[in-house]
This record gives sequence, structure tokens and C-alpha cells, in this order.
Amino acid sequence: MPLSLTDPHWYPIASSDDLPFRHVYQGQLLGRELAVWRADDGNVNVWENRCLHRGVRLSIGINEGQELKCQYHGWRYANRSAGCTYIPAHPADAPARRIENRKYPVREAFGLVWSAANAELPFAPFPGAEAADWIALRPMPVNAAPEDVAAALARLAPDDQPAEMLSELVVRLAPVTWFVQPVDSTRAVIRGLHAGRPEAPLTVLRHYNEMLTRLRDRLERAAARKPQPAPLQPVFEQVSVDLATMPDIAVPRGNTIPVVVKRKWQSADAIMGFELAARDGHLPTFQPGAHIDVHLPNGMTRQYSITNGPGELLSYVIGVKQESTSTGGSQVLVERVREGDVLAISEPRNNFPLRRDATRTVLIAGGIGITPLLSMARFLDKSGLPYELHYFTRLGEQVAFRSELEVLHGRVEFHTGLPREASSARIAEILGEYSFAQHVYVCGPASMLETVRATAAARNWPDEAVHFEYFKNDKIIDNSTAFDVELARSAMTLHVPAGKTILEAMRQAGLSVPSSCEQGACGTCLCGVIEGEVDHQDVYLNESEKRANTAILTCVSRAKGDRLVLDI
Amino acid sequence: MITLYDFELSGNCYKLRLLMSILGVSYDIVPVDFFPGREHKSDWFLCLNPFGQLPVLTDGDLVLSDSGAILAYLAKKYDPTGQWFPDDPSVTAEILRWHAVADDITSTSSAARLALGYDYNFDVEATQKGAHRIFRIMDEHLWFGERDGRDWLCSPAHPTTADIACFPYVMLSEEGGISRQDYPALRRWTDRVRRIPGFVVMSGIFPAGKALETA
Repeated sequence: MPLSLTDPHWYPIASSDDLPFRHVYQGQLLGRELAVWRADDGNVNVWENRCLHRGVRLSIGINEGQELKCQYHGWRYANRSAGCTYIPAHPADAPARRIENRKYPVREAFGLVWSAANAELPFAPFPGAEAADWIALRPMPVNAAPEDVAAALARLAPDDQPAEMLSELVVRLAPVTWFVQPVDSTRAVIRGLHAGRPEAPLTVLRHYNEMLTRLRDRLERAAARKPQPAPLQPVFEQVSVDLATMPDIAVPRGNTIPVVVKRKWQSADAIMGFELAARDGHLPTFQPGAHIDVHLPNGMTRQYSITNGPGELLSYVIGVKQESTSTGGSQVLVERVREGDVLAISEPRNNFPLRRDATRTVLIAGGIGITPLLSMARFLDKSGLPYELHYFTRLGEQVAFRSELEVLHGRVEFHTGLPREASSARIAEILGEYSFAQHVYVCGPASMLETVRATAAARNWPDEAVHFEYFKNDKIIDNSTAFDVELARSAMTLHVPAGKTILEAMRQAGLSVPSSCEQGACGTCLCGVIEGEVDHQDVYLNESEKRANTAILTCVSRAKGDRLVLDI
Repeated sequence: MITLYDFELSGNCYKLRLLMSILGVSYDIVPVDFFPGREHKSDWFLCLNPFGQLPVLTDGDLVLSDSGAILAYLAKKYDPTGQWFPDDPSVTAEILRWHAVADDITSTSSAARLALGYDYNFDVEATQKGAHRIFRIMDEHLWFGERDGRDWLCSPAHPTTADIACFPYVMLSEEGGISRQDYPALRRWTDRVRRIPGFVVMSGIFPAGKALETA
């Protein structure tokens, strides 16, 4: 039977020993080249051996433990999901979540790593697999057709004890079960599993290695005399240009994902930790700084940053502040949600992207604002990039996620109980004078953000180097004006009366528009402005973006004049 | 003062840059236009090395050629730990055996690279076949070494000049159309070489990621 690109059978593609930590193994199955790597959590990834960017082999990439980084252009892909987490020098500094490398099914069992060309068949152990302990013999690559290799293995059997053909490419010649990995139409790897634990394993390994070497030489001499079948021709599907070059910064709210509250604990005074686990498989790839919308039992939606490090996709950990003045969002999570409950969350969105080409990265957190910065610090830590994390807490307020912070290798400083002026002075010291390719990321109470922004501006830091994310807009929204909006692409004009937002007016007119926080903080409803002057009331856009007058958050901002033309 | 007569894209010159970087030896470079200028066959160069081969290294009045010989010289003279070229007679023999293999790798893997990338008139198929023959032996040697707890080509528990000598043209084999897919143990060994403190890169030889720190 000729080999098929769509053969759904599982074949061994590597030995477990071939996958030490921080190595990328180069494999091949049915013509397809594979990059196989073990993440620090033990998970084995079997991916198409091509970076989506320019098709450079990922087997020469760098296994950073949780992410695989392409050697040439620095694209990064996450453990488990193969989702791209970073595109260097990208205008948005962050890729769309849906750029994913091609993955193949994987199972590690009996000392071998198994995979298949597709996920049509579930993995099934070979007959008798559970009956013994197995040691993997040294694999033997052979330049010969896989079916010829299997036939030659069968012929090794003595006359009185014929080999047992477990399937077309699996031969049992007790005590060894031989598997032929179909690399391509003219190439194979012989992988043997020896039953039981021999007393002198090295002698056994050498014995079979010598036997296979002789067999290989015979097979290759015979193959050289035969006409060679054409190699298999797998298609390497490249990611489309629009996805690779210009992803959306705000992905519209898609379907929700159910998660189980796996753990709920007091991380610090008035800060609860929640671990939200996937019910099945893993959660979507996220970038450092990303957040999720959590749908609460009372119908509200709240945004929480993911604190996880790279490639940790089995669950997301968030921190929730218990506020006495809470409007009910976080209070519900803290008081009513218990371990074992199921919640709905959105896919991760990133409005707070982290650059990884900075010469100096400064992370400044205040209170619960530590959550996105913890994730950033973990990503920088794993990549061996220098960073400093400054965590300001008030007197009496404890440090959240302390044990997670203490295992980081970067400079982590705790500043506790500083009065306001002292904090400002400390922040000025931390920032220092701006120089090229320095970046500061800040998350915390509004007063702290203002201090950092003002201090940075006074020390000549440009807006592009100061990154922050508001979850809450503390400003009082003035919605007393009335005006018209022309929706250029939808070819309609709407009147926005006092007391109603542009977003509400658009929804009433039947348009489906994405939004999330609806308080001018998250950027989901961002929309281009073609004409008219915007009365910005959000905290999402920075000063220069607001001055540019090219974008508006339709959930809070309005027109200064009587007319706005929007690119929607 | 040490001076290296160097061609940046030569794996044999890189061996010396690599060892000197690991040993922290400072040196000057005199670039020699090996390709396309063929400066290694020019009169002034043939006075330095009548064999007309790179690299040449001078240390004061001493003029040395042959990368393997120079590796041994540098290690003997500038490695205070004595690890890179140990005095133990049996280890010395092992190292010299692998220096000879390194020359075989040059005449096969490197020759294929010169034929495909530098217009040299070598039999590509024969050189590729020769390289595969050596890589099969090395992979087997390294695979059984791992079973024995040996990470390097020779028996000491640390790398020697044998590892430096064999490394470059193994890493550059793809430029000669020689895949290393069939040599997983050889690929793991190249990770280890690239993690030696003081490792430097050359075009086509990139760094490995950090090893996992185990507490």
C-alpha cells in the first residue's frame, strides 16, 4: 500500500529521551517535517517545522521553556496552543490571537512519542503494550521504503518462530516490538521497544544497534538498486498576509469560554486569587498584559488581567480586589463564587502590549495593578530579558502574589507605605532621564497613573514609551450634548441625543458593534474618525492620540461640534 | 600579541575565534579574502603558510597553521585549567583522533558547502555521502555516550578541543545540503557546545537557548 499524506494512524516519531528540556527535536512523518519540543511543564509539542513568518525551520528555534522562538525573526509561539504571542517590531507590538502554527496530535507512552498526520483516530496502545515495561532501543534511520523495512524486519525471525505482524508497519519478534516510522516514501526510522528491564541494558542496546546497523546497510544497498518512489509532497500552508502583517489590536468579543473555578484563595489583604481552569484541553493563547472579561452570576461583566507566564494555558490566574465601595462586580466574585463553580469568560484581549526590544523595561505597579505586570515580568524573565518591577503598596495592604514575585530573576522592589510625595519622588528616581528604547509600563490607581505620566513627561519620556491600561474611568462623563454622526461605511446618519451614547445610538439603529467595559477604558469600541472634532472623555487613548483626533471610543466620547463622520 | 589571519565565513578560522573567546584570550584579526579573492594563494600569504590554507595564527614570532594544531597550542598555552587539552596520554590520543575526524568533516561537509555556496569544483554527491557516513558514526558515539553519562566527544566530564574542532562544519552542514535530521544525538551535542560559557556565533551558527536551571 503506498503511503498517504492523510494516513490517520499513529506512529512513533521520537524517543522520550530525544526530548530533553530546552531542545528542539527535528522529526518527520509522512513527508511532513516536524518541530518537536518539550516545554518545562513536561508537555510535548508536535508542530509543523516552519515559522509562519518566512518558513524558517522551527527546529533551529530556541526552546525557552514555555515558548518557542524563531531564530531568525523572533516570532514566538506558545506551548500547547502554538499561538503566536509576539511579532517583533510590529506596529501594534502584539499579534492577533488567531495566528497559530499547525499542530499535530501527540501522545507520549512506552518511552516513545507518538503522532499522526491528523486527529481522525484516537491514540490506541499497540497490542500487549500494557503487559510489560519497555525500554526504547536506539532508533535507526534507514534510506529505504518503509514497507521494505518492515518486511526485512519480519524476515529476521527464525524459521521455527515467525514474526508476528501486529500491523503493516509493526512487527513483533519477542522480546522486541519493532515499529517502522514512515518518514517519507523512501525513508524510515526503525524504533524498537524491548520488553522488560534487562540486567545489562547497555549490552542489550549495543546488541540491537549492531543488528540494526547491518540490516540498514543491507536495506540501503537493495534500495539503491531499485527505482525510487517519488517523495510525498506535503503542502506547507503559510499564514495569509493580512493576518501576518496587520492584526487587529482589539479583537471583537467572540464566543465565551466556560471555565471552572479551580482554586480561590486570599492572596493578600483584600485581594483574592482565582484560578480559572479549562474544562477540556487548554485555554487560548494570550499575550503578556492581556485581560479577559469575566461574566458574573449577576449579569455584569468585568475585566481582569491574566497573571500567567508564557505558555501556561491550562488555567488562567486572576487577582480580584475586594472593595467596600464596589458597584457589585468584584464583590460578587469574592462573596458568591466558590471553587467548582463554572464561569464564562471571553477570549483574552490585549490592550496593553509589551515590547520585547527595549533596552530598559520598567514595570510599575500599584496595589491590584500588579496583575498584568506580573504576567509581563514572567514573560521577560523566561526570555532572559532585563527588567525591573516596582510594586507600590499602601501601609497595611499586603503584597499580592508574593511567592510568584519572589521566584523571578529580575530586579523586583517592594515599596510599602510611602506617602504620596515620597512615592512621586521615588517614581521620578526610578524613571530617570529618558533615553532611546526605554519603556515604562504602569498599572494601578488613577492617581498613580497620573503621577507616572506627569513625571515621565517632565523627564522627556515620549508618550509612546509610557504604557498603561485603565480598567476604570473615574471621570464624570458629560453626556449633555446632542449631535449627528455620519457612519461613512454604513452610509447612514444618526442623531445622538443628550443622555445617550454613540454606541447606544448605533445599536438602536441595528448595527452590531463590539464593546466591553462601556466606560471608555478598554478600547474595544474604538472607531476611526474621518471628520469633526471629538470630545474625548475616555482614559484609553493617550494625549497625543487624543490630539490627533483620528479615533474615538464610542461608548463615552462625543462630538464637540454638531457633526462627526466615523469610519464604520 | 596574538594575530589571527582570518576569513569570517571559514569554519576552521571560527574554531580558533571560538576557543580564544572561551579562554578569554585577546587577539587581532587580519582579514584574508579567501572568497572570492583567493588571497590565501597570494604570495604574501604563502610566505606565512606554504600550504596556502587558512587559518594562520601568530603569537609573537611564532607562526602556526592548521586549525587542530593551533587549538592544541592555544589550549596548552592559555588554558590555566588544563581541561581543553589534558595531559593524560589516553585523553590526548582521544582528542587527536577527533581532530583527525574534524579534518574528515572538513573534506566532506565543508567541501559540499564550498561546492554549493562558493563555486568550488567538488563532487557534491560524494562529499555529502562522506559527511553522512561520519555523522552516523558520531551520532552513535554520542548516543551511547549519553547512556554512559558522557556529554562530549572524549571521555572527560568536560568539553575538549575535540568538541571545538568537530563543531563548526557539523553546524554548517545544511549549507552543504546535508540534513542533520537523522542524527538526534549529534543535534543535542551541538546544543551543549553552544551553551559553553564564552560561546560566540558566526554566520550560520546561532546560539542555543538557555539550559533549564535545576535547583
